Amino acid sequence: MTPPTATAPGEAAIVPAMTTGAAAIRGLPIEFTGLSKHFGSVVAVDDLAFTVEPGRVTGFLGPNGSGKTTTLRMLLGLVAPSSGQATIGGRYYRDIPNPTGLVGAVLEATSFHPSRRARTHLRMVARAGGHDEARADVVLDLVGLTADAKRKVGGFSMGMRQRLELATALIGDPDVLILDEPSNGLDPQGIAWLREFMRFLAGEGRTVLVSSHLLSEMAQTIDNAVIISHGQLKAQGSLESITAGISQTSMHARSPEADRLCAVLTAADMRFRRLAPDVVAVDGVTPEQLGPLLASHQIVLYELTNEGADLEAIFLELTSGLGFNEVEKPT
Amino acid sequence: MINAVRSELLKMRTMPGVWVCFGLAFPLTVLFMTAVFAGAGGFPGHTFYFVHTLNQRRILLGAGYLGITFLAPITGVICITSEYRQKTITDTLISTPVRSRVLGAKVLVTSYWAILMAVLTLVVALAVGLPWNSSLGGTTSSVLDQAGAVIPGLVAASILLGLFGLGFGVLVKNQVAGILITIGTTFILEGILIALARAIFHYNLNWLPSSAAAALAGAVARGGFGGGNGHAPDLLAWWQGGLVMLGWGLIPLTIGYFTTFRRDVT
Repeated sequence: MTPPTATAPGEAAIVPAMTTGAAAIRGLPIEFTGLSKHFGSVVAVDDLAFTVEPGRVTGFLGPNGSGKTTTLRMLLGLVAPSSGQATIGGRYYRDIPNPTGLVGAVLEATSFHPSRRARTHLRMVARAGGHDEARADVVLDLVGLTADAKRKVGGFSMGMRQRLELATALIGDPDVLILDEPSNGLDPQGIAWLREFMRFLAGEGRTVLVSSHLLSEMAQTIDNAVIISHGQLKAQGSLESITAGISQTSMHARSPEADRLCAVLTAADMRFRRLAPDVVAVDGVTPEQLGPLLASHQIVLYELTNEGADLEAIFLELTSGLGFNEVEKPT
Repeated sequence: MINAVRSELLKMRTMPGVWVCFGLAFPLTVLFMTAVFAGAGGFPGHTFYFVHTLNQRRILLGAGYLGITFLAPITGVICITSEYRQKTITDTLISTPVRSRVLGAKVLVTSYWAILMAVLTLVVALAVGLPWNSSLGGTTSSVLDQAGAVIPGLVAASILLGLFGLGFGVLVKNQVAGILITIGTTFILEGILIALARAIFHYNLNWLPSSAAAALAGAVARGGFGGGNGHAPDLLAWWQGGLVMLGWGLIPLTIGYFTTFRRDVT
């Protein structure tokens, strides 16, 4: 593996040019079949079925509490399914000998003993998986934490912990990467680095499954998407097929009269989201519909752009039973 | 299994709580030796005197037993509960998804550290107690003669006390609760129950954890419990104490494995 490297936490990542040629597939498919989980009367995951393909970055998307983490924990044997199954290459995770050599997982950036040094933590994980302890230094270098190898994790920032968790997942040079909200706590440079890193890993033919609720960054990273809400599958497929399958367009309007603009949209029964104090996204309309409406109310516009099929808009439509206006209206 | 054990060894070595237990074992051993020397001449005659009776010589060599009775269980508790306290259980089970293997590794590693703790107290007894005894006029050989009578029981008791703590740690998962239960059981509740059983039912309640461990530790603890002649009729035979103590470790460990340890890690 000759992966992207980072100079240091918080600094800009140095990412080599991506290989554009088709890489040999080295990952394994992840399959979820009729997977359900009930916590008492609460249905966390409901009959989930989809497949994650190797060689691609698959986004596992859904709002907070939609069942993403529970699904990933069932895949990794941490939570027992109520019914159904989740397998990696046709095997349950617990049945894979030395699984960290095949599957790397990032579940939470808080699962470190604060008194333990970064390198020691990684050596410990390497030992458990039967890997060479020298891998600790290799993966620390990969995630840009070499200078912090001897520091205690208790002094790490959230972003550094995320990097260390990623290093933990990579300790066995796995073919399958499972990342649960890996960009939480990362600064913009870290997020950019992570994005390139995931693209690189998938480019090597590995299977990369990444969950997130940060849709804007996912749209730039993923090849495939699986969207769930309330534990149920709402959409899956390539990003193109999902956006093409739903005639959802979004117009972004920038106006000094955003409040009045919202009032007009509400009166016209249009769905909108307030993206910024002066920017409103209006979903499901064309420029030909929106332009005359705003002109008739003499609303000053600085900018009106057609964003086309917006993943975020699609996501909201798929995952919310409420109208957009109600969901996204700022308080 | 070997990989899990190697990982757990490193894990324990990098836990401050374990080193605090080891750090406390040293002064407690010295403190108990001081009491042995102070009592050797008989009160109120001599302040300090060399050990000369059989029991005094044995107790000097096994002076670490007092500390081991609660430090070894705490080490066992820490071994498992820190996983939940620091949420490292997620990474542990991702690395080693077969949970019985994780628990098996923890049993072995807790035993290993319990042995180390017993050895540490023996080293302290040799390094501090023997020169001190010599300076008071005693002989080194008279104490070392008792090694065969002291060391096996001390080490075995330390291991089983460690597993006792591990068992309760698996059962309760909460570190503070685990420590309070083990310490409260061995030092407070057990004494009260023994006294009540004796007073009300005229029953010798000698199968509770610290009494069972004392029976196993034999020469060291019997001297302390039974006084002059080395026999403590209230205690079980050493092998009975060993079996009972094994039960005190394995029963909560087994119950904990089939209940709390196999639950979902959310």
